[in-house]
Amino acid sequence: MNLNTFYLAVAGLILAPLLGGLVAGLDRVVTARLQSRMGPPLMQPFFDVGKLMSKVIPPASHWQGMFVRWALIASLASDALLAAGGDVLMCFFVQAASACFVAMGAFSGNSPYSKIGAQRELFQMLAYEPVFLVAILCMAKAAGGFDAFSMMSGSEPLLFKLPLIVPGLLFVVLVKLRKSPFDISASHHMHQEVVRGIYTDYAGRDFALLEIAHWADVTVVLWICSFLWATGPLQMLATALITLFVALVIDNISARLTWRTMLKTVAPISLILAAANLVWLYLE
Amino acid sequence: MTEAYIGLLVLWPLVAGLACLVLRGPTARSALVLATGVALAAGGLALASQAPFTANPGFMASATAIHIAQAAAFLLPAFFLFKGLQEKHLLVIVFALAQLALAATGEFYLPAAAAAQNAVVVDGLSLALMLVVCFAGSLICFFALPYMKHHEEHLKLPVSRQPGFFLVMLAFLGLMNGLALSNDMRLFAMFYESTTLCSFLLIGHDRTAEAKQSAMRALWMNSLGGVLLHGGIILIQKQYGLADIQAIVTPTLWAGASLLPLALIAAAGCVKAAQMPFQGWLLGAMVAPTPVSALLHSSTMVKVGVFVALRLAPVLQGTTTGKVLCLVGAFTFFATSAMAMGQSNAKKILAYSTMANLGLIIACAGIGTPVAIAAGIVLLVIHAATKGLLFLCVGDMEQAIGSRDLEDLRGMISKTPTTALAATAGAMAMILPPLGMLVGKWAALEAAAASPVAMVFMALGSALGVVCWVRFAGTLMGGKSVGVQPAHTSVLSTGPILAMLAGAVGLGMAAPWLNALLLPAELANPFAGGWGLMPPMFVLAMVAWIIGMKALSRQGNATLAAPYIGGLPSNEAGSYVGPLGRNWILSEGNPYAPEIFGESQWTKIAGALGALLLLALLGGAII
Repeated sequence: MNLNTFYLAVAGLILAPLLGGLVAGLDRVVTARLQSRMGPPLMQPFFDVGKLMSKVIPPASHWQGMFVRWALIASLASDALLAAGGDVLMCFFVQAASACFVAMGAFSGNSPYSKIGAQRELFQMLAYEPVFLVAILCMAKAAGGFDAFSMMSGSEPLLFKLPLIVPGLLFVVLVKLRKSPFDISASHHMHQEVVRGIYTDYAGRDFALLEIAHWADVTVVLWICSFLWATGPLQMLATALITLFVALVIDNISARLTWRTMLKTVAPISLILAAANLVWLYLE
Repeated sequence: MTEAYIGLLVLWPLVAGLACLVLRGPTARSALVLATGVALAAGGLALASQAPFTANPGFMASATAIHIAQAAAFLLPAFFLFKGLQEKHLLVIVFALAQLALAATGEFYLPAAAAAQNAVVVDGLSLALMLVVCFAGSLICFFALPYMKHHEEHLKLPVSRQPGFFLVMLAFLGLMNGLALSNDMRLFAMFYESTTLCSFLLIGHDRTAEAKQSAMRALWMNSLGGVLLHGGIILIQKQYGLADIQAIVTPTLWAGASLLPLALIAAAGCVKAAQMPFQGWLLGAMVAPTPVSALLHSSTMVKVGVFVALRLAPVLQGTTTGKVLCLVGAFTFFATSAMAMGQSNAKKILAYSTMANLGLIIACAGIGTPVAIAAGIVLLVIHAATKGLLFLCVGDMEQAIGSRDLEDLRGMISKTPTTALAATAGAMAMILPPLGMLVGKWAALEAAAASPVAMVFMALGSALGVVCWVRFAGTLMGGKSVGVQPAHTSVLSTGPILAMLAGAVGLGMAAPWLNALLLPAELANPFAGGWGLMPPMFVLAMVAWIIGMKALSRQGNATLAAPYIGGLPSNEAGSYVGPLGRNWILSEGNPYAPEIFGESQWTKIAGALGALLLLALLGGAII
């Protein structure tokens, strides 16, 4: 651990949530264009969070403030880990911890919608975590190391060795970005049956912090996806943007699935593909 | 001096247990249990300060000790046979007879094995198990004092059966210490069989029909384990004339030879550690009083199975037997985690999760590299503290509300806040970085790099475990307010719970150093490779703790918002006026997805696959 690593980690800590915010803005602009609307300005998510920060609203549980802050710290830490070239597997576990805290906060809330959202969030984690883990294991095997630097320093894109993890990664991106057809735990449109699901009980400043944590998560997930073509920074950015664009298109053309379909059909298929890719790497 | 400490650790609990039987009063019993706990803790630390070392204490090295062990090889199966005949249980009879036949073969037809060079060898692995027994075991015995008093009040027994209970509990601690320390296969087998006996007696302690049935099931499965163990020992005796464990686990001894004896012993370990398809006995063992589940069936006795596997691990590295053993463990990790997901019985969740973590350790043993073995031992120690804590918490909450169903434990934080928060912390310690269970899992995943299938099983089991524990903790947190007065307190219930909590978190934080202590000198840098992440993560965890506590203290007294229910609040508590103008009553429940995680179908299919893998373990060694 030298000073350079430290600077990189701090840069990751500050830039990652900003990038995630930009992604959220871009998401809204692109989605609006796809639906032939004008849409809000690119910076709208930042304005939203700024306004939320100023609101003081009675909490739904005594514990939520604590869980929200733990979730934020874990999400930011996973970005810093990745930026400093840390172990990608550990980065995954830290990021998963953040999701656990969000669910715990929702469990300790008092609205039934919040609790049903938490239960669904758990099923989502059950569906995407194994796929994501196996995808990372594939990347580590193909790149020859578990640390982010060895995944980012290849001379050849990993994509050609790992074609079968692409559906799995796309599934993970859709779940983590809370996009249709997998916006199961926190439905994006508040008139749906679970209201805002796992987010129902979060309000005001707590919700603003949670939004920042979500941005940090989005950056981590897209960043890990960009390892598929990590021959240079521009290529990585392009890979991340393409992934994002595909996710947005799918979001706009699909309706929401139930957690049963996700857990019984989508997750097994993408896991089997990713696992097949892993075995195949060993047979080479 | 070491000899005296070893004597204290092995013999004193036996003496104290017998004293419990003679002095039947509760005061004398409490004093004896507390004194034993203190003595074991002090003795354990004293021995640990001198490790690694070898010793030849008279009571374990002399010819008399070997004779006693040889006699036990007949007496214990004879007792099992007697029980089998009494209950007319065919499997127990068959396996007890098989054990007797094996003992007779070893004794009368084969030349006696050479005595071990050192009767006691203490290395990192035996030290780990011994310290777990001394500390976790003592704390659980303390907890058992108020628990059993309450338990018997509840059962309204005319004559207290606690003297016999504490005899077995305390004697068990001594036997486990003997097992961890002994370096002679014959002594080891004696201690191994006597833990089976303790488990049998304690599972059947309540004498209900269910308890009897579970005890017999545990007996036949563990007798089968005994047959496998003795089979392995006799093959080694025939082939090499050896009984010295350290000499047996030298890889050069086995170069080019069939690993069948070791596969048999490893399979015995799998039975003891309740790996698929032998999960049934550990599940049935949950009918016993909770301190028994915590002590035998989570913290210590089932660890014997993984202890054996880890002991053999250096020989298994890179062999087919090792690879299959890794698959056996990883598969159990996955299958039992899935079965835990579909459970609402809190003790069964803990039982399945115990098997899962034991499976992970067995997988580490199958990999067999120094890094994997160290990860396995770290998991062994931290799992004992964490799962022991969770068992004690569930036992305490069960006595407070009279149910062990997760649905009834909803919102326990408002009924028994200390215990519920400790349980929540324990559940979180099972899954969160930078604590030891997660770090151990991470190290195991990276060490499994040679086995893609095992890695996929581990990935699945990991996600299932995370979800299961968050749901468990979330259900306990249930959304009621903080600061409610606890229902009942006894220093001897909350004291051990808090001490176990401190142990679980403290050891969890100490994982990198524990790991470094267990690695060979050239690898022994606590922060080598990926472990370099740990110090910054500790700092981060501290910062998170401080920030979180500040938020809690700010919000802890805030007036809460009315729940958002999508309707108008009604005058009746827990209900609201919703669609159609009707009064809707709110109720909650966890989805257990029985169509995916149903226990019976998993028991059948995963049990069959587990049996196939175990057969492959033995078959692969023969070929």
